[in-house]
Amino acid sequence: MKARSQAALLAAPAMAILAGVAVLPVLAAIWLSLHRSILVFHEERFIGIANFRFLFSDGRFWSALGTTAYFTAVAVAAELLIGLPVAMLLQRGGGFFRAAILLPWAIPTAVSARMWAWLFNADYGLLHRLLPGVDWLGSPRTALHAAILVDVWKTTPFVALILLAGLSAIPGDVVKAARVDGARPARIFFSITLPLLRPAILLALLFRSLDAFRVFDAIYVLTEGGPANATETLSIYAYKTLLRSGDFGYGSALSVATFACVLGIGLVFLRFLGRER
Amino acid sequence: MKRLPVLVFFLGPLAWQVLTSFWPEPELTRALPHALTVANYAGLGTTFARAVLNSLLVAAGTTALCLAVGASAAFAVAKLEFRGRSLLFGGALAISMFPPIATVSPLYLVLRAAGLRDTLAGLILPYATFALPLTLWLLTSFFRDLPDELYRAARVDGCTPWQAFVHVFLPLSWPALATSAILVFIFSWNELLYALSFISTPSKRTIPVAIALFAGEHVEPWGQIAAASVVATVPLAFLTLFFQRRIVAGLTAGAVKE
Amino acid sequence: MKRHLLVLVACLACARQGREAQPPGPVTIVLEHQPLWGDPAAFHASLERFQQENPGVVVRTQTLPNASDVAREMFLTALEGGADDFDVFAIDVVWAPEFARAGWLADLTSAFPPERLRAQYLASTIEAVTLDGKIYAVPWFLDVGLLYYRTDLVPRAPKTYAELQSFARAAMARNPGLAGYLWQGRQYEGLNCNVFEAIWGHDGDLLRDGRIALDTDAARAGLGFLREAIASGLSPRSVVASAEEETRRAFQDGRAVFLRNWPYVWAEVQKPGSPVRGKVGFAPLPSETGAPGPGTLGGWQLAVNAHSPPWRRRAAEKLVAFLTSGEAAVELALRYSRIPARRAVYDDPRVREGAPFIAALLPVALAARPRPVTPYYALASDSIQGELSGAVAGLRSPADALSRAQRIVDHLESR
Repeated sequence: MKARSQAALLAAPAMAILAGVAVLPVLAAIWLSLHRSILVFHEERFIGIANFRFLFSDGRFWSALGTTAYFTAVAVAAELLIGLPVAMLLQRGGGFFRAAILLPWAIPTAVSARMWAWLFNADYGLLHRLLPGVDWLGSPRTALHAAILVDVWKTTPFVALILLAGLSAIPGDVVKAARVDGARPARIFFSITLPLLRPAILLALLFRSLDAFRVFDAIYVLTEGGPANATETLSIYAYKTLLRSGDFGYGSALSVATFACVLGIGLVFLRFLGRER
Repeated sequence: MKRLPVLVFFLGPLAWQVLTSFWPEPELTRALPHALTVANYAGLGTTFARAVLNSLLVAAGTTALCLAVGASAAFAVAKLEFRGRSLLFGGALAISMFPPIATVSPLYLVLRAAGLRDTLAGLILPYATFALPLTLWLLTSFFRDLPDELYRAARVDGCTPWQAFVHVFLPLSWPALATSAILVFIFSWNELLYALSFISTPSKRTIPVAIALFAGEHVEPWGQIAAASVVATVPLAFLTLFFQRRIVAGLTAGAVKE
Repeated sequence: MKRHLLVLVACLACARQGREAQPPGPVTIVLEHQPLWGDPAAFHASLERFQQENPGVVVRTQTLPNASDVAREMFLTALEGGADDFDVFAIDVVWAPEFARAGWLADLTSAFPPERLRAQYLASTIEAVTLDGKIYAVPWFLDVGLLYYRTDLVPRAPKTYAELQSFARAAMARNPGLAGYLWQGRQYEGLNCNVFEAIWGHDGDLLRDGRIALDTDAARAGLGFLREAIASGLSPRSVVASAEEETRRAFQDGRAVFLRNWPYVWAEVQKPGSPVRGKVGFAPLPSETGAPGPGTLGGWQLAVNAHSPPWRRRAAEKLVAFLTSGEAAVELALRYSRIPARRAVYDDPRVREGAPFIAALLPVALAARPRPVTPYYALASDSIQGELSGAVAGLRSPADALSRAQRIVDHLESR
């Protein structure tokens, strides 16, 4: 009995902090989202679900949702497709190679986005010089893909490492046995490696999808959501509404909606993962 | 040889940034510089040095806080029975999935009320939202791997759970503590959204904010931005080079197990 | 471990110094302003002069981000949180009503009596800094949208949009690769200025009963004109991503016939080594009818932070007086091509001699129009930018974009 209460005591500080900085704020955000609240003018009034009613008919919200979903789907797919071969290269070892691959993941996203902004620069950027026809950040059609490229560059290393861990867990004799049986490398890959890698792939998908869906840093630095709001994700829209328009009520409604979407994605993935195990 | 294109893709942009940082500003319109200069670094000045120091303080503070409260909690979750145990672990996992934007507005109001808005100390607590779940996850899976007999033996010897933690488990856990410390440090070093929202004084900016809002008296000083980026990257380059094994182990913890 | 942490937190918190008593030694005041463009040396020299004239006062400067939207975001969070680490700061003309209403600007009425200011300054600039009869900022310099044209490529400045179009087409036909009309179409505050000018040029108004009105025929015509300029090739596609500097550089390199921009461009294009030196003229913007089109009133005012302690406030007011003096305005005009807000500076012989174009701009400055003067404009501006940008980029029709913008503005303004 004494041991039990001491155990609770050991965990108490962490619990208190998590409750204080995460759980309560989310509840408070929900509460705020039910208000009209213009911070600057000290306007504060309970208005029920009016913000959410407006949200459902807000074209800019639906564009942002679509942009976020597209960003997430394309970026995560590309990261998996590039991450798998990189993981196979990593499997053959090489400390320097591994550290080199890890570097893009480690540096701040804001720094890497500034770096790419210079590569994309429409006057003197290296990429602009190599491919003068592409207006990387200037056109609504390419800007989002430029942002995706930056995300792929930065987080493929992470995906590759998760997949590498999965690859290392595949027993070597299974592959060897298949090879002795005369199976071709392609066949081994598709009928042995890939199925055994499924849990690792799903895990990478889960982590990356949740992460990509809340993307903020790269886009804030590269385009601030422009041109024509073509790169505006939910986090950017919520941030601008909160801190640029100072509308804490509707801004909170937007962030609660973002939260709900992330929660939904998380639950769906956990379902899949649960079935795997 | 298959590695070459991969290396070019991942290191090429960084190399170009390093070159740009030594590129004389008036020559940026050329395809390549005629001569190299350190003027861009000299021009960074004290404001950016402050940003480096600020990032260091905030990252170190967050790391210290998370290890201080996370280690004992992770031990409790892994080895002890108490009410709310699964709630804590599951809750921490759920919180790590929160989009940070969801908590910006209330945290802003709370920090302002507490007089902590626009202070570095006021950044450390919000940073716990992503750093503490990570710490708990890494340390819990580490403690779980230690044999239960160890704990039982300590109890038989008359240790309280607290003593068992401090005298038996903590001394064993330094590799996991180091891994957590490195990862938490990197994540805190890199954070932008909270720092952007809660810090307004230029001299209190962290590196990501300073770089995101980099302004010169002229328009877009790309050479200086590149120099600042290199300065921000060097510590991380060292961390990844020396601790890559730990980082990889930490990132993939749980990816293979369970 | 935990104790160390407490010490660390305490140290960080101590960084917020006490603010009750005046510290001994010189008074340090902080001036926050946007980059002035051009060589900052002259401006720094004048601050040096101020410090010599006021022993015991030290002025430090902090440069704000270039984009005024980002600068406003910084001020919004800083002032909302009661920041007192800067004393004098430059505010965009559209922020004044909002900031004053929020209680962030010190009342300067006793140091700068309204009657005196009205006698000295252009009327519209004083209106913009007055709330309920009190003065909350002092005009520093004006900005106004202008048309620059290449005197070697077109016969004279165009008066109507149709003339702009035909002059540009003729020059483009003679010089393949030349762009016709450059303006600022990136998603930022400057885009709003460009679109509002086109709306005024189509005889439109942006306020209806004190509220922002965007779903009007004139607005659809004005925005439609800008969209059509891109679609028809009069303006290159790159304007969709251009702010002031991108268009200024292209024009200065000799790559365009017409440029809409602010007065600072004049000094740049006339610099030695500029490829278009001596080949540039300026004029009021064109309009649908041929009457001079109003340019957007921009520009910066100097305000004193309401949270700044009393002993710094006095020095801050002195600095504002110094920077907005007639002498300072002359220097800003000569060195940085800034348009004076003081009426008398236009007639100063040094200005007429050294910057004749500024003297010639007086009628344009007098006719400049403010963006909607409501405390809500600055809050709504971000949403408006996004929708206007959508239309300019061709993602949706001007009518569609304007009605979307109107919906968001109405939601924000709903009281």
